[in-house]
Amino acid sequence: MTKPYEPLKFEGLDIEPTVCAKCGFCTFVCPAYLDTLWDSQSPRGKLHQLRSLIKDNKPIPSDLAARIFYCTLCGACQEICQTNIPLLRFWQLARQEIGNLNKWPEIVNYIDDSLQQTQNIMEMDQADRTLWTDMVDDLVEDKIGIEAEVAYFAGCNISFKGTLAHMGENTVKVMNAAGVDFTILADEEFCCGNPYFVAGGFENGKELATHNLKALKRLGVKTVVFNCPGCHRAFAEEYPHLLGKEAVEGFEFLPFSEFVLRLLKEGKIKFDKDYPHEVAWHDPCELGRHQNIYNPAREVLNAIPGLKLKEMKHNRNKARCCGGGGLLKGTNPVASVRISARRIEAAEKTGASIMSSECPSCTMSLNDGIEHLESQMKFKDLSQIVAEALGL
Amino acid sequence: MITKKQKQNLADIVGEDYFSSEKFMTDIYSSDIAALPGIVNDVINPQAEAVAQPTTTEIVSNLLKYCKQHNIPVVPRGHGTSGYGGALPTRGGLVVEMTRLNEIHHIDRDNMTVEVGSGIIWGKLIEDLEDEGLAVAAYPSSAPSSTVAGWVAAGGSGIGSTKYGGISEQVVDLEVVLPDGEVIRTKDTSEEVFKIETGKKVFKGDDNFHWEVSDNVPYSADSTQLFVDSNGTLGIITKVLLKIIPLRNIRPITASFRSQNLMAGALLDILEATRPFYLHFITDKFYRMLRKVDQAPPTTGEFIISCAFEGSDDEIETEIEKLKHIVSRYSGTVESMEVADHEWDERFYPMRIKRLGPSLAPSEVYVPLENLDGYLNHVNKHFKAEEFALEGAITDRGEVAVLTWFPDDERRRISFLTGWYRSLDVINIGLKHGGRAYSIGMWNAAHSRSYYGKDNYAKMSALKRKKDKKGYLNSHKVFPGPLVLSTRLNLLIMVIAGIVAPIVIWLAGILVPSIIQAYVPWVVVNNLPSFLIWFVVGLLVGFIVTEFANLIPISVVLSIGTPFLRFFRKIFH
Repeated sequence: MTKPYEPLKFEGLDIEPTVCAKCGFCTFVCPAYLDTLWDSQSPRGKLHQLRSLIKDNKPIPSDLAARIFYCTLCGACQEICQTNIPLLRFWQLARQEIGNLNKWPEIVNYIDDSLQQTQNIMEMDQADRTLWTDMVDDLVEDKIGIEAEVAYFAGCNISFKGTLAHMGENTVKVMNAAGVDFTILADEEFCCGNPYFVAGGFENGKELATHNLKALKRLGVKTVVFNCPGCHRAFAEEYPHLLGKEAVEGFEFLPFSEFVLRLLKEGKIKFDKDYPHEVAWHDPCELGRHQNIYNPAREVLNAIPGLKLKEMKHNRNKARCCGGGGLLKGTNPVASVRISARRIEAAEKTGASIMSSECPSCTMSLNDGIEHLESQMKFKDLSQIVAEALGL
Repeated sequence: MITKKQKQNLADIVGEDYFSSEKFMTDIYSSDIAALPGIVNDVINPQAEAVAQPTTTEIVSNLLKYCKQHNIPVVPRGHGTSGYGGALPTRGGLVVEMTRLNEIHHIDRDNMTVEVGSGIIWGKLIEDLEDEGLAVAAYPSSAPSSTVAGWVAAGGSGIGSTKYGGISEQVVDLEVVLPDGEVIRTKDTSEEVFKIETGKKVFKGDDNFHWEVSDNVPYSADSTQLFVDSNGTLGIITKVLLKIIPLRNIRPITASFRSQNLMAGALLDILEATRPFYLHFITDKFYRMLRKVDQAPPTTGEFIISCAFEGSDDEIETEIEKLKHIVSRYSGTVESMEVADHEWDERFYPMRIKRLGPSLAPSEVYVPLENLDGYLNHVNKHFKAEEFALEGAITDRGEVAVLTWFPDDERRRISFLTGWYRSLDVINIGLKHGGRAYSIGMWNAAHSRSYYGKDNYAKMSALKRKKDKKGYLNSHKVFPGPLVLSTRLNLLIMVIAGIVAPIVIWLAGILVPSIIQAYVPWVVVNNLPSFLIWFVVGLLVGFIVTEFANLIPISVVLSIGTPFLRFFRKIFH
């Protein structure tokens, strides 16, 4: 049994609710607040309540626990914070505290069970990890579990959700076109652990992290490519935090956009075909605000002849969330769709016909938003645009 | 106390989804950005009992009619981003939060005005106007989260005020729901609104507090300025018609100086020779604190002037050249564009240094620019034992809104309480240098008459008397109100009096028995029944004391208490 607020106290963040200036800057960038317009839902309101609870060593009540999970962990609050509170970490640790109190939302417990039993969030057999390769069987059949310097880490969503399989297919096609010698881990690929990190279940994620790194090392991998910013962030930020920097030494972790940009610069791929479309770019929170990676995707899109990149009003570090982060899709799916719809409304204002991003979670959410709004916009993942522009 | 049935009725008026009386919710809506010493909870009742978020003017009107009829205290609230107590409950009641009235109703390009719902956020309005090639002429430093009518109600100056004036210069017309539920447009107010029906010379603002007003208030059809700055005491603003300007280039520039008097001199000359959109300074103390929190880019001097010019490229260039000459005359350094951009981006972030506290006790006062140097010297001397930071923004009236920040720690109760004197002293020092209070809210209500001017204050008082005799709407703000001792404090005073009375009598019987025997032989404590009798008498005396205490205006308590706080601060700090 841990002491009250031990996760926050251990990292010295228990003082942060008092440091909060209550200026409310975080409120009007917070998707959860904007969804309800009640301050209890805003970071400021939650910190207000936590301030006295921490002071009095009283446990987080269930209603506040639910509100702390009514959050996409987009990090917009941290970005705008008047007093530089590391809010992303703070919310993660608050969720850890909720876990310590056995008050995780039902969906988190379900994911926990699933990960314990099947090493993936879908509760599916690990043998089905390669379901996504069905359409590109010929390109990957001799890549499974081989030794190579480059590995493609598909992640649970792309591996198991048919609607997202195209992201993996496109990535493999691009790698193949560029002549990249790559490997995929197949059933040796375990969940990256991001759902645990998002829910504050750090210790549970440790085992998954250790396994994935060991599997990659065994195959002599140096570069790991991701379509999923959640997986990328888990490897690039959480693993070193959890296992020490030496655990990831010798690896480089690249999001798809950065990998494609490298291939472009090395001349391994070239965009020759005209792609006459206007594209509004949505920055995934876990790549942008969380890791400060904004430019590679823009450089790739700008390199495509005919493609016109249209920036949304709130872009880069000010980009609004798609509604799919922080497990909100599981804890409050209806709110998640409303948030997605707001992002689509903003994208429509650019006049672009296509909206793009590079994240399976954003893909799902923004497609939900398009459906909800009955918008005429089409969503295309970056890998899809790249594959189409290359004529693959 | 709002009854359960009344809560249901209020929820019916505003809509179930837009009403809450849950404790966690009312807690959040019972505070603003200022941290208050714990004792404040015992001398006023800053705990709302319910929160409503009206969605139309009609709902606001219905809410006010209902609350007035049932004498439910109402506190209008924007987004709670001020620190003067203007949005704090003082007698429980209902907080009416306006953020759902957030539409842009109409942009009039011919007259260059925009009509907005009172609860729209400045940041959102600025963004939306930008899409139309337009801008507001001035906005508050809290623009990312403050509401338009919040600033209208609180008053003051902000970014853009150096060129275009404060909020009162921006407001053309208001839609206001008066305390009796009547909806008016302030630009064309009927005489009936102000007509005084009774000839009474005494205004009964609160049940227990009285002050005089004159009935001879001249009527003017445009009463807009009467409602600006009035902290929601005269009515709840539901729509605002604001001036707008074309969107033009803004270029920031930053200069640093080695000393305060050089900086103050440069500020005077800059204001005389140029028309900056924004003119702001920080002193060395603030600079050093910013450095501690990694927010101070390296500069040559530690006294920093941040300036921004607005207009065409040529106009800006001309202004910048003039500024450069002035800076060089005062041996200052024009800093790089990176520093200028950083300072411009930081215009919304005056509270970066809060982390050093982790609390901040703020105080703000207007001082004439020509007296700035003297004022700063006075403050530096007065608070030489304290840690504090100073910054200021210059207005088009040649005044400086000087903001003083005292890093503190609200968790250290006694020291935090005694430190409160500083905020009050800052204003008093400002007044000595020809200044005036920055905003009234609750904590500066003692300065209302001088702040609004005698005539305006009389008009406000007359309207308050006519429409809100019992002072149910935003009580204690602008018009000073009495203490509202908590039940806990009431009981404590009574019990202490109950115990002290028999002990004093018993001691008197031992120390001066002859006097007691000669004059009041019946006053004696020598057994349990007599102790109990005098205990009950003590309780009654305590009760009378609390009743009297509940007649004392907060402003009087603050005036009397300040020297004591200052004295105890010296002992405990």
